[in-house]
Amino acid sequence: MNAMFLRIAAFCALGLFATTGAAAEFTATITDGTGQPLRGAIVYVSDANAASGNKAKAAKLDQVDKTFVPQVSVVQTGTPIEFPNSDNIRHQVYSFSPAKVFTLKLYSGRPAEPVVFDKPGVVVLGCNIHDTMIAWVLVVDTPWFGKADAQGHAVIKGIPAGTYELSAWHPGVMLPVSAGQIEIKPQETLSRAMKLAVTPVPGLTSP
Amino acid sequence: MFRRLRTRIIFFFVALLALVQIAAFVFVNAANSTNARQKIEGELLVGERLFARLLEQNRERLSQTARVMAADYGLREAIATDDVNTVISALRNHGGRINANMMMLVSLDRNVVADTFALDTRPRQFEFPMLIEQAARQGSASSIELINGHAYQLVVVPVLAPLPISWIVLGFVVDDGLAAELRQLTGLQVSFLQSTAGPGSTGWRVLASTLGSEGSSLASALPALPAASEVHRIGEEAEEQQIRVITLDHFGDNILVAVLQRSVAQAIASFDNLRQTLIALGALSLFLSVAGSIAIAQGITRPISELSEAAQRMQAGDYSQPVDVTRGDEIGVLATSLNHMREGIAARESEILRLAYQDTLTDLPNRSRFNERLQRAIGNVKQQDGGLSVLMMDLDRFKYVNDTLGHNAGDHVLREVGKRLRELLRKDDMVARLGGDEFAILLEGVEPGNAATVAQKILASLEKPIDYLGQPLDVGTSIGIAHYPQHGADAGTVLRNADIAMYVAKRNKTGSAVYDPQYDTHQQEHLSLLSDIRRAVENNELRLYYQPKISLSSSAAAAVEALLRWIHPTRGVIPPAEFIPFAEQTGYIKVLTRWVLEESIRQCGKWHAGGLDMKVSVNISARDLMNRDLPDMIAQLLAKYRTPAAMICLEITESGFIEDPAYAHKVLDRLNALGLQLSIDDYGTGYSSLSYIAQLPVDELKIDRSFVMRMLEDKTTSMIVRSTIELGHSLGLKVVAEGVEDEDSYRMLQQLGCDHAQGYFMSRPLPARELEEWLRTSQWGQTKYEPNNTARISLLKPVKSS
Repeated sequence: MNAMFLRIAAFCALGLFATTGAAAEFTATITDGTGQPLRGAIVYVSDANAASGNKAKAAKLDQVDKTFVPQVSVVQTGTPIEFPNSDNIRHQVYSFSPAKVFTLKLYSGRPAEPVVFDKPGVVVLGCNIHDTMIAWVLVVDTPWFGKADAQGHAVIKGIPAGTYELSAWHPGVMLPVSAGQIEIKPQETLSRAMKLAVTPVPGLTSP
Repeated sequence: MFRRLRTRIIFFFVALLALVQIAAFVFVNAANSTNARQKIEGELLVGERLFARLLEQNRERLSQTARVMAADYGLREAIATDDVNTVISALRNHGGRINANMMMLVSLDRNVVADTFALDTRPRQFEFPMLIEQAARQGSASSIELINGHAYQLVVVPVLAPLPISWIVLGFVVDDGLAAELRQLTGLQVSFLQSTAGPGSTGWRVLASTLGSEGSSLASALPALPAASEVHRIGEEAEEQQIRVITLDHFGDNILVAVLQRSVAQAIASFDNLRQTLIALGALSLFLSVAGSIAIAQGITRPISELSEAAQRMQAGDYSQPVDVTRGDEIGVLATSLNHMREGIAARESEILRLAYQDTLTDLPNRSRFNERLQRAIGNVKQQDGGLSVLMMDLDRFKYVNDTLGHNAGDHVLREVGKRLRELLRKDDMVARLGGDEFAILLEGVEPGNAATVAQKILASLEKPIDYLGQPLDVGTSIGIAHYPQHGADAGTVLRNADIAMYVAKRNKTGSAVYDPQYDTHQQEHLSLLSDIRRAVENNELRLYYQPKISLSSSAAAAVEALLRWIHPTRGVIPPAEFIPFAEQTGYIKVLTRWVLEESIRQCGKWHAGGLDMKVSVNISARDLMNRDLPDMIAQLLAKYRTPAAMICLEITESGFIEDPAYAHKVLDRLNALGLQLSIDDYGTGYSSLSYIAQLPVDELKIDRSFVMRMLEDKTTSMIVRSTIELGHSLGLKVVAEGVEDEDSYRMLQQLGCDHAQGYFMSRPLPARELEEWLRTSQWGQTKYEPNNTARISLLKPVKSS
């Protein structure tokens, strides 16, 4: 997978402007190599020096019609994720990804315990019963992240002013890609266009 | 070689059929062979497709199996542990479930993580990255590769979690078992070979094969770089194989191929039944055709053989058995023709035999038949004793009849004579016409005396004149008789001796004569003289001697008789009696007569010119008298030598008139008209009467010497001489006496009034020169010659040998 590379063309927005309040808001518009909006792409900013003060919130990864919903999700390290089964059949959700190896024995309905994703990294989830079921969970050490909608817009709100490292990820790139430093000013609303070259991802139907 | 028709027919049919069958067999066999090869090619082509399909299916099956295996949660879990030993054991365990022979785990970056073959090897890159790329694209990949000297069907599948986290490589060894399985499905021998081609060497190594131990021969026979999708042929005869080569993998210098092959011999073997059936059919039809040919050939040749036998019977002279004709075909026609031929030949042969042994004129047997019968009769006599007699006869005046009255008259005479002879004789006696006027009679089982009696009967029978168109023909005959065994030891001698006796009888005018050995010597001389006569005239061996006639009134020579002498170069002087009869028989007498006439007329003319008027008498034979040219010839000679006709006198014997008195009369009239003197010679020996002679234009009568020589002793004879002289005179004829040998006779004749005398008493016959001398010196000399009183001269008087 060496050949895989990430090219991020980060363009300065036409202008960075601050919004009211202490927290700033960052909007990234992500397109793929052909310029199409890259739905499901994850954008996050992290400050290596600042300790994360925010407590991770619980997340949920549903299974509907033999499909993980959502297929692509991003959580802060330590987030417990529930895997409710909305189908009337059983699933056996597993992951052999080094960031989180686990198996939920065949179950239906809501499992007793959520799974805590306690290490950063890409976790690929599958169902041992249904080979076509696949989901990606990006575990990051920051609470500031966003997921691109159908128009490729990913919005991160409430970012304290400071200097962050900007990263982007998508199942088509396997590992997160750094897009350089970003200066966040208070009350500022910042926009940036980002380009992420991805490989086609089989099984990714609704990111 | 094939002389017999039957053999040829059989050979032809059988050879033809054998040829057709051999040709058919060769064609069918060749077609079979071609078919077999084409069939093999087809089988190989189908086999190759099938083989490819099977390999594909095998790959599919193995891939699916591998995919299923790789999806096993436990295995994935084990792999996820990253513990090599665990991974290897898990791979072994799960690979074993699907009978894989080799398992490998390859990371996403293509490092070999685990290898069931090489447990403690160092990390290395997977040798077949292309397989992984293919598997990444298609979910699985498979190919046959060579690993550690063995061929493996490699299958690469991803380990999904659910995205690929590593690659599992499974190896299924390609062994004899797989080959056998493929063979079962394709029906072809299947071999997997590895090229061991290094620099400068080529060769193949068998990896797996259904051929067993024979695989090595394939390895040695396979070309270095066999083209795929082509049929190759290796081996010869029973070992011949057709093969197709499928290249499975190229990796470096190694070439891995699958070889599909089919034995030509085995394929052709399926045609063996057909071939054997063909051979059996061929043998059967050959046998039937031989049998059929023999039957047909016999159907043709047997009747031909029968015809051939019939022809051979005919050749042997047996015409009695007809050929059986029961068929309607060509042979039947031939047999019918043969029958007609047989009848024709039989008829012609009997006709030929009839012609060969029968005289057509008289219907009497001919000379051949007579000789045959005579020889058989002599054979019988030899066995049973006894004897037989042969009578040979010819007609005295037959030639005259033929010449004057024509051949019809002659034929009539011969038929009549034949008829009379036939009537006269017993049925068992044989009468044959030997030719001309010659007849022969065979008397078997008779005494010699009886033969003479028969001869007398014949003579008597022929005294009766034969009537021809109302004209009586007087035909005399002379008969010679010879007896067997007295007169000859064989048929030829007996016949010849009978012939000799016949001439004796004719000459002696005795009617018939029995053979006497004495005749033989004369006969022998005559035979040799006959050829000499021809020479005599040409070689000037003939002479004329002249014997004077003395006038009894003047006792002077009045005339001469010219007598022919033959001065033979070796035998001296031969008297006319020795050769004149032969000259008469052969017709040579004409030449002699002409010579005598010319010589005497010439001499007479010469004397006349010299003043010596000596009349010359010339003897003319009876046959000469029948020559119509005689008067003309004499007239020419007289003119030529200027001799007066009155100086020549022709002497003719009585028999000359008797043969044909009428014709003789005519000739004598013509001769008389020429002025010639005519004389009757040997008067008294024949039967002619004076009254007959009186009618003839003759001038002179010569009394035969037999009367003159006996007249002194015998009173009766002297009376005859006397009366003859008187009668002659009374008829106005001069009378001449011959054979005057002493003076008493001479005196007596003078007293009787005879006109002339001739004989040794006066002079023997002399040559012309001596005669002239004699005339000058003798007492009978010319001085006393009375020209007007000596007109009678006789010439050419044969001196009787007796």
